[in-house]
Order: sequence, then C-alpha cells, then structure tokens
Amino acid sequence: MSILQMTGISKSFDGNLVLDDVDLTVETGQVHALLGENGAGKSTLLNILAGVLPTDAGTIVFDGITYHDASINQMESAGISFVHQELNIINDLTVSENIFFNHELTYPLGILKRNQMLAETQALFERFDVDIDPTAKVSDLKTGQKQMLEICRALHMDAKLMVFDEPTTALGNDEIDHLFALIRQLTANGKAVIFVSHKMPEIFAIADTYTVLRNGQLVSQGSIASTTPLTVTRDMVGEHGGTAADYRPRPLGDVVLEVNSLSSAAFTDVSLTVRRGEIVALTGLAGCGASELLQAMFGAFPTLSGTIEVDGRRVTGSIGAFARHGVGMLPTNRKENSVIPDVSVLENVYLAEHCLAFWPPYIIKRQELERYDPLGQMLGIKADNPDMSINSLSGGNQQKVFLARWLNTEADIMLFDNPTQGVDVGAKEDIYKLILDLADKGKTIVINTLEIPEIQKVSDRCVVLYGGSVVADLPHDAINEHDVMAYATNAIDTRS
Amino acid sequence: MEKKRSFDPLGALSSLWRNHSYIFVFIVLLIIYAITIEATGKTFNAGHISAILSSQNTVIVGSMAIGQALVIITGQIDLSVGSGMVLTAGVTSLVFNLTGSVPLTILAALATGALLGAINGVLVAYAKIPPFIVTLGTMLIFRSLALWAVRLIPPTITGSPSSQFALDSTKPGYNWLRMQFGTGSIKLGSFAIPYVSILFIVVLILFVLIATKTKYGKSVYAVGSNAKAAGLAGVSVQRVRASVFIVTGLLVGVAAIIQACKVGNVTPATSGMSFELYSIAAVVLGGIAMAGGRGNVLGVLFGALSYATVVFIIVSIPALGPDIQNTFQGLVLILVILVQTAGPSLRERFRRRPVTSDVPTGPALDEADTSQSDAEVNAAAAVGRLSGDALSKPVVEKEQP
Repeated sequence: MSILQMTGISKSFDGNLVLDDVDLTVETGQVHALLGENGAGKSTLLNILAGVLPTDAGTIVFDGITYHDASINQMESAGISFVHQELNIINDLTVSENIFFNHELTYPLGILKRNQMLAETQALFERFDVDIDPTAKVSDLKTGQKQMLEICRALHMDAKLMVFDEPTTALGNDEIDHLFALIRQLTANGKAVIFVSHKMPEIFAIADTYTVLRNGQLVSQGSIASTTPLTVTRDMVGEHGGTAADYRPRPLGDVVLEVNSLSSAAFTDVSLTVRRGEIVALTGLAGCGASELLQAMFGAFPTLSGTIEVDGRRVTGSIGAFARHGVGMLPTNRKENSVIPDVSVLENVYLAEHCLAFWPPYIIKRQELERYDPLGQMLGIKADNPDMSINSLSGGNQQKVFLARWLNTEADIMLFDNPTQGVDVGAKEDIYKLILDLADKGKTIVINTLEIPEIQKVSDRCVVLYGGSVVADLPHDAINEHDVMAYATNAIDTRS
Repeated sequence: MEKKRSFDPLGALSSLWRNHSYIFVFIVLLIIYAITIEATGKTFNAGHISAILSSQNTVIVGSMAIGQALVIITGQIDLSVGSGMVLTAGVTSLVFNLTGSVPLTILAALATGALLGAINGVLVAYAKIPPFIVTLGTMLIFRSLALWAVRLIPPTITGSPSSQFALDSTKPGYNWLRMQFGTGSIKLGSFAIPYVSILFIVVLILFVLIATKTKYGKSVYAVGSNAKAAGLAGVSVQRVRASVFIVTGLLVGVAAIIQACKVGNVTPATSGMSFELYSIAAVVLGGIAMAGGRGNVLGVLFGALSYATVVFIIVSIPALGPDIQNTFQGLVLILVILVQTAGPSLRERFRRRPVTSDVPTGPALDEADTSQSDAEVNAAAAVGRLSGDALSKPVVEKEQP
C-alpha cells in the first residue's frame, strides 16, 4: 500500500522550471531513496511535500487524503516529519528540551512538566538504543550525537513518513550503522522512509526503492534490487559523467613533510612522512583525530609536543607560518571555514596570497586577473565573471575557488579536509581528477576523508587512525573497504 | 562614483540607488534644508552649503566616523571616540602651550589618539574582551582623565581659567593653527571652501582608497565577513581587529586637532558629548552594515553631511527649541533607515504585482503570498546591506558566540 503518492508535480521560480511533471510514490514499510545531483530538484520536491512551497501543478495524496497547498503544520500533523541536512537544534537548551521544543508538555499557565518530558525522552532513547543524557546541554554534545538528537526529535513525533535529508554527513561509520538499524526498526513497524543521500554504498545498504531526478525531471524509478550503483550514478550525472578520475602511480620525490611524535588533545604520538608528489589519505571514524592532525599540520590546531618539518625545516606557530612554508589547506565545512560571503569570487581567491605578499600594499586588479584567469581555467571554475558574489556559485565551484586560493600562493603541500562534503557526484569526480593532476605536477597532497571509495580513487597510501593513534599505513594496492574498516573500528588491534 | 553613462539611464539610476542610496538621502535632506530656509524668508545660498561642509558634525564627527566605519566593517564598535577626542585635544593643547611648536603639537595629537586606540585594540584583540565593553570602559576613563587633569593643571598651562583646555593665543604658531585647522578657507567667487573641509575630504579619499585598493583594506572586510574563514586563509585576525582601533585613534587625533583649532578650546565636561553615537549614526546613514563585512567608506562622507544637515534643518526652524532637537535627530535617523530597508521590499511588491494580477485564481493567490514572502527575504538581505540589521543586531551579541 502506498502511503504517499505525488503525481505530476511541477514548480517554477521566476520562469525557471525546477520540477517538471515529477512523480514520487512511497510504500508503507519501505525505504525510498531520492537521488539526484545538487540542483536536480530534490529539495524543492521535499519542500513541496513539507508544505513550505506550493506546487504549480500536480497532486499529493498522503495516507488516503489529497492535499492541495497545505501548510507546514497541516503536513506535520498529517504524519510527515523531517530530519534536515543542517542541524536545526538549539545549542543552549538541554537534550530533552530540544526533543519537546514547540511541543512542550505543560500544566495550566504554561508551566513545564519537566520530569515527565525527561522520562519520555529517556524512554525514547532506550527504545532506539541511543546513548545521550537527556539532561545534557546540546552545546556539550559531539556532532554525531547532535545529529542523532535531530533524528530522535523527528522520531518522537511518531510520524507515518520520515524524510531523512542527507542524515549521514556528520556521522561516523558506527553511528551510520546505528542509524540504519533504527531505520529498519521503523520500517518493520510499518513506517515509511524517504532517504536522501549522495553515497551509493549507503543507498544500496538501506533502500528498497529509488527515484532519480536530474534537472527537475524524473529520470528513473524502481527497485534497488534490480539496479546497480553504476547505473544509478549514470542516471544522476547524465551526459557529462565521462570524466571519471583514474588512479595512476607517479614517481615520488624526497620527503617534504615530516611529522615526528606529534601529540595534541585529539591525537597522541603520531609520526608520518610524506614525499613530494605523494597523495596520502588519513581516515578513521569520526573523532579518531585525523581531522585535527590535518589541522595541526597547518597550524590551525594546537599541539602539545612533537615536531612538524616542512622541507627539512621545523615549522611552529600560526597558520601564517605554515602558509609561508608553502602549506595550504582546504578546510572542512566550507560555509563556516572557507567562504567570505560578502566579497567577490576574485577577492576570495587572492586573500591568502595577499597575506603572504603584503608588499606592495596596494592591489593592481589587472595583475590579479592575470593570475586568476589561468587558475580558473585549469580548475574549471564556472563563474560568469570573477567579480560576481561567491554565494552565487554551487558548492563544487566554491570548493574550486578555495583550491585556487591556495594554488595562487604556489603552495607545494595541499591539505584537504573532507574536500567533497556537500558536493554533488559530477563535481566530486572533478575534484578527484584535480587532486591527481596536481600530484602529477609535483604537489604533495594529504587528504582527510571518511569515504573509502574516495581513498581508493586518489591515494597512494592510506593512514588509518583509531582513538588518536595511527593503526595502519596501507599502500595503494592494499586499500580496500574491508581492511580499512577493520583497522578504523580497531577490529584488528595492532597495538597489543 | 558611477560615472558610466549607460544606455538605460533609469537602470543606472536604480543601480546608483541600490549601491549608493546615501547620496540620495543627502540630496533629499539638502532640499528639505533649502525649503526650510526659504520658508523662513531667507535665501538659500552657497554660504549654507559651506556651513554644512565645515560644521563640527561634518569635520570632527566625520573624521572619527571614518575610523568608526572600519571598526564596524570588522564587526566591532568603538564607543570611546568622543571621550578620546576630548582627552587628545586636551593633550594637544598642553603640548602647544608648553612648546609652542606646531609640528610637535600635530605629532602629539596623532600619537595620543593612536595610543588611546591601541589600548582599545589590545584589550579587544589580545585580552579578548568584547569591544562594546572595552570601549564603554575607556569612554568613561578618557573623559574622566581629561576632567581630572583640567582641574589639576594650573590655568597658565591649560590656557584657560575656566576648566577647559585652550590654545595659548600668545604663542607664535597660534594664528597659523587657528587659520589652517579652523576658520581659514579658499574663496571661489562667493563660495568659500574651508580648509578643514578639504582636510576631511582628503583624509576620506585616502581611506576610500585604503578600503578598496589595498590588501589591508580587503583583510578588514574579510575579517568582518567571516573571521574564521579569513583566519584559515592566513589573515592575522586579531592583528586586523586591533589595527582598526589604532587607525581610529589616529583619526581621533585629527578630530582633536580640528576641535582645538576650530573651536579654540575643549571643555572636558561638555565637549564631544555623544560624538561616539553621532559617528555611529554617520556610519549607519552612510549605508555601512552594523553586522560587518559590508559597506562603502565613501558613504561616511554623505552620512556625516546628512547628519550635519539634519542638525542645520532643526536649528533653522525657530519653533523648535534646543530641548526637542535630539527627538528630531533620532526620528530622522530611524526614518532614513526605515526608507532604506522598506524601499527594496516595496519595489519588489510593485514589480511582482502585475505578474499575479492577471491570474486571479486560487493557486495564484497563494503564489502572491509566497512572492510577498520572497520579497521579505530579499528585503531582509537588503537590510543587512543597507545596515538595517544594525539596529536589530547588537555588536556585543556578535562577539559572544
């Protein structure tokens, strides 16, 4: 029985058709994967379902009732709840207060039934095997826990249909497993789930049926069992998917980056050597210290002991010191750590170079453009002109702008922290290809990523961390999903 | 400004309005001023414009507002500029009265201003105290030090027996200083351009160039726009945060020279009262966003001129006594920001109305609803650009995550 039938949904903004006659059917007790690149129309479709946007055409039938231009509250009380990609929880409230936010249980005069809410939160967590203290303040939780809280809040509504919009971006692999167990528990109880994700292994692990959108149109639809990741990816990417990155070995130079017994609050006694032209991947579960290690190699995370040497010279201190030694970093969480939102694309690019070459103090725009043009071409930055706002670019294009920021400084060592986060499939391939091309040109690259297929695609070596220590250093041929996961989860205890 | 004559003069005008609305604000206020002058039976002439150009609110507040603009662009605030100016003008007068040397006097003014700015900057950037608190503290301290000193130091050195600092008129450089930084002007026919106005405009142009054409200027905007990202791009965020206070201090020094020479004296108990707030008003009228990261230093020129014009309008209406003056100043300030923020949303509504009016069916009405809310979103975005969120977003809050 279908719980949801959306038929012939169309929507346009300012004359641009963003959804063109799209159908979506979700069955009770099943997980339906909604797939598509950024801009394919997934969010618009979900916003229509949520009652955020009205449709131009088409009908929505949910649980036997036809809805036309319903409000957010109507859809919520009909039994649809959302777990959004961005965290929508309030840091200054407690866990339990967040669960009941806007649905508080009260005595007359609005006095809160605090104990009852705490008890219900506890019961909810026990039912889904979630290990969070209901009285804890949200600001004290780890990112993965916050994501779980967000999910629990949606669970608490006891909806008939739950929509998960890229729920796994902030989760480690064990937390993802937990989430999947939880989703299976939901579907076993007759709930339906819409699952939005870019990650093929996840979709093939959890979903029963799927819908692929591309440029606002329905491309394919069917049962997951009768398709393959390759077919689905091709459906999502369409014609321009021919630029798949191919790993190739290349000659390596001398050691250019050496980390000796480095310790910090997040990792202990890490040693690592990287040679010129090498691509090294750091990986591990969320909280394993890999991201912090990468940041420490850029002066962006304080260390307690140990040394970092670049080209044989010890570097200490601030980001500026590392940048002067030719180290550049593409940080994780682009919006927070990379985007200077109020200035243009060009200004975003030349900022880092200007910090290194403060003299002459004035800017000659013609010279800046002469530097920008070849970079923009090489990286394939799709911007109408370099003076446009950085915010008008897509995520993948923005990421290329920040890569240009460091290539403009002629950095020899590039650190990439989760470079394909929130980037759609086509642009991901572009970024892999760029990483390989840069290494061919003699740049040294260290990547921190949680995605193992990504590591197999680009890296010469994979360094696995567990609990702040290096547990494995695998050469390219030895990198496979099973072994990396075994080390990352400490299933093979190398330290004993 | 926009010298380009496009084929679409209306479009050019609308882009000028969008990016430089502060110019229109000033022109409208000037027209209102001319009307009030004419209404009282006098003739509006070049002398009135010259008076606006050389008014205290233009040159003294305006100079400090240039620094205030940089501080605000980095997402901070400086409440100490008024008191700082008084203390600096006091030191300036003392140095002149003791040495009689014009270069030393000017140097003392700039150095004192920069020192006071450096105190703010170090406390904000390195002791990590929110700028609102630091400059609230130094605002109290600077004025109180001036008050204390003026009563402590003998009148022969302060230059005045009545609890004020004044330049010693018996010193040889006195007339030169009072002329150059006070009453002197270039005559162009009937139009007199005061030297101080020229000084202000030269300083302003210098800072427009610093803000738009230098690496330092770009780093100031970057820190205000996203400090974390700027830091990860290699910008020394704390150094930039401190530096804008020092720059503001230098400009407070310039303002102090003008105060000492134009007015001839400085009274710690009353001079420069609320100038910090007037300088913020000039920055806001100049279209700079209080949230940081956005705005044009050129706007400060028109912001200061607009503010000065408002004061002249009120003074020129005989029915308004001095007590009610601030009410009108406050009303005009709120009104101008209201027009700037409501303007884009109104325009959006007019632009969309014809689209929805020819489809008067059910869904179309809903469409109209969403376009309206779109307009509100756009308006909210414009609010930031035109500094409206200034008023809803206190800077202290921003500093304390």
